[in-house]
Amino acid sequence: MTDNVLIRVEGLKKYYNGGAVKALDDINCEIRKGEVVVIVGPSGSGKSTLLRSLNLLEIPTEGKIYFEDTDITDKKVNINTHRQKMGMVFQHFNLFYNMNVLKNMTKAPMTLLKMPKEEAEKKAFELLERVGLRDRAEAYPSQLSGGQKQRVAIVRALAMNPDVLLFDEPTSALDPEMVGEVLDVMKTLAREGMTMVVVTHEMGFAREVGTRVLFMDEGKIIEEGTPDEFFDNPRNPRLKDFLSKVL
Amino acid sequence: MIPYLMSISAAFAELADDLRFVFIEKDRYQQIITGFFNTLKITAGALLVGVIIGIFIAAVRTSFDKNKESMKLRGGPGYVLLGILNAVCKVYLTVIRGTPVVVQLMIAYFVIFAASDNGVLVGIFAFGINSGAYVAEIFRAGIMSVENGQFEAGRSLGFSYLQTMRYIIVPQMFKAVLPTLCNEFIALLKETSVAGYVGVIDLTKAGNVIAGRTFNYFIPLFAVAIIYLCMVMLLSWGVSRLERRLRKSDR
Repeated sequence: MTDNVLIRVEGLKKYYNGGAVKALDDINCEIRKGEVVVIVGPSGSGKSTLLRSLNLLEIPTEGKIYFEDTDITDKKVNINTHRQKMGMVFQHFNLFYNMNVLKNMTKAPMTLLKMPKEEAEKKAFELLERVGLRDRAEAYPSQLSGGQKQRVAIVRALAMNPDVLLFDEPTSALDPEMVGEVLDVMKTLAREGMTMVVVTHEMGFAREVGTRVLFMDEGKIIEEGTPDEFFDNPRNPRLKDFLSKVL
Repeated sequence: MIPYLMSISAAFAELADDLRFVFIEKDRYQQIITGFFNTLKITAGALLVGVIIGIFIAAVRTSFDKNKESMKLRGGPGYVLLGILNAVCKVYLTVIRGTPVVVQLMIAYFVIFAASDNGVLVGIFAFGINSGAYVAEIFRAGIMSVENGQFEAGRSLGFSYLQTMRYIIVPQMFKAVLPTLCNEFIALLKETSVAGYVGVIDLTKAGNVIAGRTFNYFIPLFAVAIIYLCMVMLLSWGVSRLERRLRKSDR
C-alpha cells in the first residue's frame, strides 16, 4: 500500500437527473491509515453522498475509488467482500429489528467470515462490555434508547474487524443528552488508532478528535486542513461564513 | 305454559326430522363431505401455488425497483433481463386482477384444459394463478414497507442482495404482511365457492345439490354457511397465534 493510503478517490462525480443536479462534482481525496477525517459542510453539500460512495451505497456517475489499492468501482470487483472491511454507522442506527442485540452483532461475522458461534459471541460480549451494554445483549432494538442503539450499531460494525469506519451523521438523530455517550465511544476508537471518516455537525468533535477536516459545498471539497488551521484560520469565504453560523 | 313447551318440543322434533331427511336419507351427507374436502383441496393447493407465484413476482418487481439505478450504471445484461421479467410480471398482474375469477376459472377449464375433466386440479391451477397476483402485491408492499435503512445496513456489512433479503428484509416483511395475507387466504377460501361452475362438487355446490333434490333450501345452505364460517374462524385463529409469536421482537 502506497504511503498508507487506505482509500483514494479520483475524479468522483455523482449526477442526478442527467447532470442537472451535481451532488458530487469532481472529488479527489485520500484517507490514510489511522486518520480521523471529519467532513463538514452545509446540508445538501454532498458530504453524505461522498461518504456513502466510499462503500458504493451510492454508485458514482464517474470517477474511481480505490480501497486498499483495489478500484472498487470496477464492475468486476465483488463489492461485498470489500464492504466487509468498511464498517458503516448510520444516522438512524438501522439495527436489524428482527434480531436481538447479540444476533445483530454475530450474524454478519458468522455468515460472512464463517466465524464459529462461540467466538462471535465472545467477541460481541467483549465489544458490548466496552460500550457498557453487556447486560443488553438479549434486548431487541425497540427496547433500547437512541444512544444505546447507536452504540450497538458501532460495535456491530466493529464485530466485522473493519479497516475503516464510516459515520454518517451518527449523532444527528439523538436527543441532546445522548450525544455525549456516542461521541465518547467514537473518541475512544479514534484514540486507539481506528481509521474513521465522519460526517457530522459536531464541531467540537471535529476539533478535538479529527486529524483532518474537509469542508464541502455544492458537491466540491473547497477547503481542508488540520482542525487548528481549519477552525482558527479559515481561508475560503464560504467556510468563514459557515463557521460563523455553526460555532 | 304447557302448550308452549309442547310447540317448542314439536318444533325440535320437526327440525330433527328435516335434518334426517335432508342429510341422512340416501346418504346425502356424503355430498357435503365430498364438497368440504374438495373446497379444502382447492384452497390449500391454490394457496401454495399463489404463494410461490407471489414470492417470485414480488422478488422480481422489488429487485428491479431497488437495483435498476445501480444496474444501469454498472452495466451488464442483468438490467435488460430483469426489465423484461418485470414487464411480463406487470402484464400478468394487470390481466389477472382485471378479470373476474369465475371467467378465469371457466377459461382454464373449458379452453386451456378442455381435454381434462379433473375440475379440482384445474381449480387449483386457476385459483392459484389468480391468488398469486394478489399475494405478489401483498409481499411487494411488505418489502417496500421495511425501511430502506435496514437494507443499507445489511449491504454495508457485506451481505449480498439475496442474503440481505433472506436474513433481514423477508423476516420483517413477513410479520408486516401476515394480517393482509390472512385476509387474502380467507377471500380465497370463499372464492372457491364458484368452483361449481366447472362441475366440481365443492362445499357450495354440495349444498345446492342437496337443496335441489330435497326442495329444502334452509337447512343445506345454512349448514354450508356454518362450515365456511368455522373454517374461516379456525384459519384466523391460527394466523393470530402465529402473529403473536412473531411479535416477540417488538415487546
